[in-house]
Amino acid sequence: MRRCAFLLSILLFVAEAGAQQKSPQQPPPETTPPLSPLSPTATPVPNIVAPPAVPARPNGKIQKSLVRITATEVEPDYRAPWNSGGIQRGVGAGFVIDGNRIMTNAHVVSNSRYLTVERDGDPNKYPATVLFVAHDCDLALLKVASPDFFKNMTPLTFGGIPELESTVSAYGYPLGGERMSVTTGIVSRIDFQLYTHSSIDSHLAIQISAQINPGNSGGPVMQNAKVIGVAFQGYSGDVAQGVAYMIPTPVIHRFLTDIKDGHYDKYVDLGLSYAKLQNPAQRRYYGLPNDGRGVLVTTVIDAGSAGKVLKQGDVLLSIDNHPIASDAFVELEGERVEMPEVVERKFKGDKVKLDILRERKPQTVMITLDTVWPYLTEGHYYDVRPRYLLFGGLLFQPMSRDMMEAYQVGDLRLRYYFDNFVQDQIYLQHPEVIVLTNILPDPTNTYLGSYRASIVDEVNGRKILTLRDLANALNEATDRFVITMIGDGPPLVLDRKEVESARDRIRTRYNVNNEQNLEEQPLAAQTEARAVPPGS
Amino acid sequence: MRRIITLLWLTAALSAFAKKEVAAVQPRQLSLVRVNVTGQSFDYFRPWQKRAPFSKRALGAVLSQGRVLVTADLVADQNYVELERAETGDKMAASVEVVDYEANLALVLPQDKNFLQGLPPLEITNDTVVGDRLAALQLEQTGALVVTDGLVTGVQVTRYPTDVGQFLTYRVSIPLQYRDNSYTVPLVKNNKLAGLLLRYDPRSQLMDVIPGPIITHFLKDAAKPNYPGFPTLGFDYFPTRDPQLRKYAGETGPGAGVYVTGVEPGTSVARASLQAGDIITGIDGFDIDSNGNYIDTLYKKLEFTNLLTSRAYAGESVPFKLQRQGKPMQITVTLDHRNTADYVIPPYAHDEAPRYLVLGGLVFQELSRQYLREWGANWIKDAPQRFVYLDRFQWELFPEGHRRVVILSQVLPVNGTIGYEDFGYLTVTKVNGKEIHSLEDLAAAVKDPVDGFYKVETEEHPREIPLDAAQVRADEGALHDSYGIPILEHLK
Repeated sequence: MRRCAFLLSILLFVAEAGAQQKSPQQPPPETTPPLSPLSPTATPVPNIVAPPAVPARPNGKIQKSLVRITATEVEPDYRAPWNSGGIQRGVGAGFVIDGNRIMTNAHVVSNSRYLTVERDGDPNKYPATVLFVAHDCDLALLKVASPDFFKNMTPLTFGGIPELESTVSAYGYPLGGERMSVTTGIVSRIDFQLYTHSSIDSHLAIQISAQINPGNSGGPVMQNAKVIGVAFQGYSGDVAQGVAYMIPTPVIHRFLTDIKDGHYDKYVDLGLSYAKLQNPAQRRYYGLPNDGRGVLVTTVIDAGSAGKVLKQGDVLLSIDNHPIASDAFVELEGERVEMPEVVERKFKGDKVKLDILRERKPQTVMITLDTVWPYLTEGHYYDVRPRYLLFGGLLFQPMSRDMMEAYQVGDLRLRYYFDNFVQDQIYLQHPEVIVLTNILPDPTNTYLGSYRASIVDEVNGRKILTLRDLANALNEATDRFVITMIGDGPPLVLDRKEVESARDRIRTRYNVNNEQNLEEQPLAAQTEARAVPPGS
Repeated sequence: MRRIITLLWLTAALSAFAKKEVAAVQPRQLSLVRVNVTGQSFDYFRPWQKRAPFSKRALGAVLSQGRVLVTADLVADQNYVELERAETGDKMAASVEVVDYEANLALVLPQDKNFLQGLPPLEITNDTVVGDRLAALQLEQTGALVVTDGLVTGVQVTRYPTDVGQFLTYRVSIPLQYRDNSYTVPLVKNNKLAGLLLRYDPRSQLMDVIPGPIITHFLKDAAKPNYPGFPTLGFDYFPTRDPQLRKYAGETGPGAGVYVTGVEPGTSVARASLQAGDIITGIDGFDIDSNGNYIDTLYKKLEFTNLLTSRAYAGESVPFKLQRQGKPMQITVTLDHRNTADYVIPPYAHDEAPRYLVLGGLVFQELSRQYLREWGANWIKDAPQRFVYLDRFQWELFPEGHRRVVILSQVLPVNGTIGYEDFGYLTVTKVNGKEIHSLEDLAAAVKDPVDGFYKVETEEHPREIPLDAAQVRADEGALHDSYGIPILEHLK
């Protein structure tokens, strides 16, 4: 199921880069637009024919708030991480909110190197930069240096959670034309969903029946002239028809609150898994009355917020004084929502109070909330250069979702390490799982092909926990390096002199400009200096 | 590309000419008999029942003493075996005398030995080499012989269907046609049995053949009072082509042998104190090169494992030449065959019902590859990955051996399992505080509930599953009635 959900941007970039966007200066003759952006202060779309019978537009003139975003992205290449990666261009939507900010999806601007924004009635393209980006909830804020851009623009305001079955309209720049598109539908479902951009985060999402397509990403979904969501993902037509999702306002508000201190701190998590307590024998076993309350803690992630506080076998009875039902729901502002929603609304450093039953004795514990870092290994990374180390033509990379997908890893042990990294707490022994992912053939490594996809355990008897450890170990002045892999295989033995003599040869032959990137580094920062206002 | 194909074709044609058209078969003297099998395989997802019956038709090779040779595949999970004379259509019930699923061979005996009268026994030929022509034999509905001529293009050591060990195989280029006896197809050379069909790929028209030497080995073993089986290798190895690895291992010789990466506990090589890190440079007087090949007297270059499978027998002592930390030494390995019972996760199981225990709707089984194969041909990808991992690395994960992995395979909804319906594919660690290393352990642990509960502990989420002992008993009727489980415990 999880696999089938697709990011609108994925299709969007393929389609746009392939079709329209290649030669933006030469529109085909038939589509010569009626739009004549002659004067910069053009009255809004004067020559669109508007028959008098058109019903009143319930959301007002969205053109005055809608932004078309063109992003040029550089997609990191995990198979050749020293390269800057493939360049792609895509189009998404955004809208103006207070403070001359533009809201859109994180996936519209992730890995971007150059952004331009356009608006209705203005012929200019304005360079924009990313102000904040939240990959865990797929939201981003942009700013535009030129104040001209916001002239005559109307910031949109946010509404609440719409009623089921109420009508909503989605605005954006989907396939099928150049100009703004509107589709309408109703609210179909309000539920937790996986956000496929990071592919590890689940938050509240609202399913709507309005058609949204690649290019709608980041566009506002409106009701009664208020934004009630941001269109972001859906199923492709061969999986399910008309299933589209938007990010609802509680998630948007959380994002806007989080960044108030000038920094996005990410979502926080308890770092535990729990089981429902619906079985009568199970309830009696844990000493619970038959009152339909409580969930059982089954795994506590040591590195998580609850790591030192909760234990496997604890029963959670209430969270911040909201009773937890045995199906893991709590009542919040009159709505039944899943228990994590209480934590979802909090921020890094906030506390949560849990009433628990431990060995049949009631206790109250306070947990200070933080991000649970081992989860991040299992999700996608954006806006960072891949980390790697190339030594003697051997490419070592830390295990990550991007790496696993780039190599389509089939190795059983490595797949096991990836799938169970958090659940089996593999990160305690291997905070980073360092993998020999690829070999650039050279006489020094001719016979090493079968070590591919194996996990580094030790180098010359020293445990390797991180990529930095490996770099240090391979820097030692020793005649040879004995690299022990996890499992029964023979060690990989490298003669230092041979590796050193091969170094330039390999660099030249494979065009490797840099042999290592050990630390997470942001992509080339989008500097303000680049954003010269048009016409200046 | 095209040029290469033409060239190959030319060489093939030339070598055929060179052989001067030796007739592979003279049909009249052939001793073949139809073998009809009906059987039922076990359903590992519902271990208390068998699947719908299947029937297979094959062609057996008549050997001396009224024995009929077929593949083990054919008679796996059989209920009834019947021989049929192709020329008359006479039928006779038969029994499976010896079966070896690893070498994929079986011997079938008719109830009355006279049934095969008039069919002179086939001799077995062991001298087939690359370039020989073999004839595949099939029968028309009428009983008329269908002969297809093929060329032996290669002799190598490959994996057989059960994937336990590797055995000698002929590769034959042959345009085989479909006939209703296609399950076991004998191949002959000069009217002697040269092999049996192992697998056929109709697209490339390449057939793998169980060769004469493996058949001869099987028949010799079958003559012994207890069938011993082919010797088990018992260790993992790695080529030593990498000079840096050779240097590291301290090898001083000319650069040859295979590097032992792991020795499986309890095997013949473990008893002979073979160690990980040793380099095996020779076996039974044959030198092993750095790719793991030796020079066979008949086939020239061949994988060294052939020295321990088709050339040697269980019970024999074979000298191994080693280099251990640079020092040459020799050990003597008394070969033996490892039975499926000696694995932690058995590699295959046929002809016996799977073991299980149902406790108040929770279905417990022992992890086996036969269970994993229920996920189909692509089971390595499709079966629960945790289980596939346990199977692949069983020696590394359970070096002590002598145990099974008990799993909670599924939950059948009854009153006592409300809220547990989604649990499945879990590894059981303890029940009522007692370690569980087999279904017997489990059966013993659930004899006495603790405070009226059975507590099942699992490696994975949810870690603890308590059951009410009284409710478990109350649900037994429902398990019988609703799910048709005849007995709740089958431990054999």
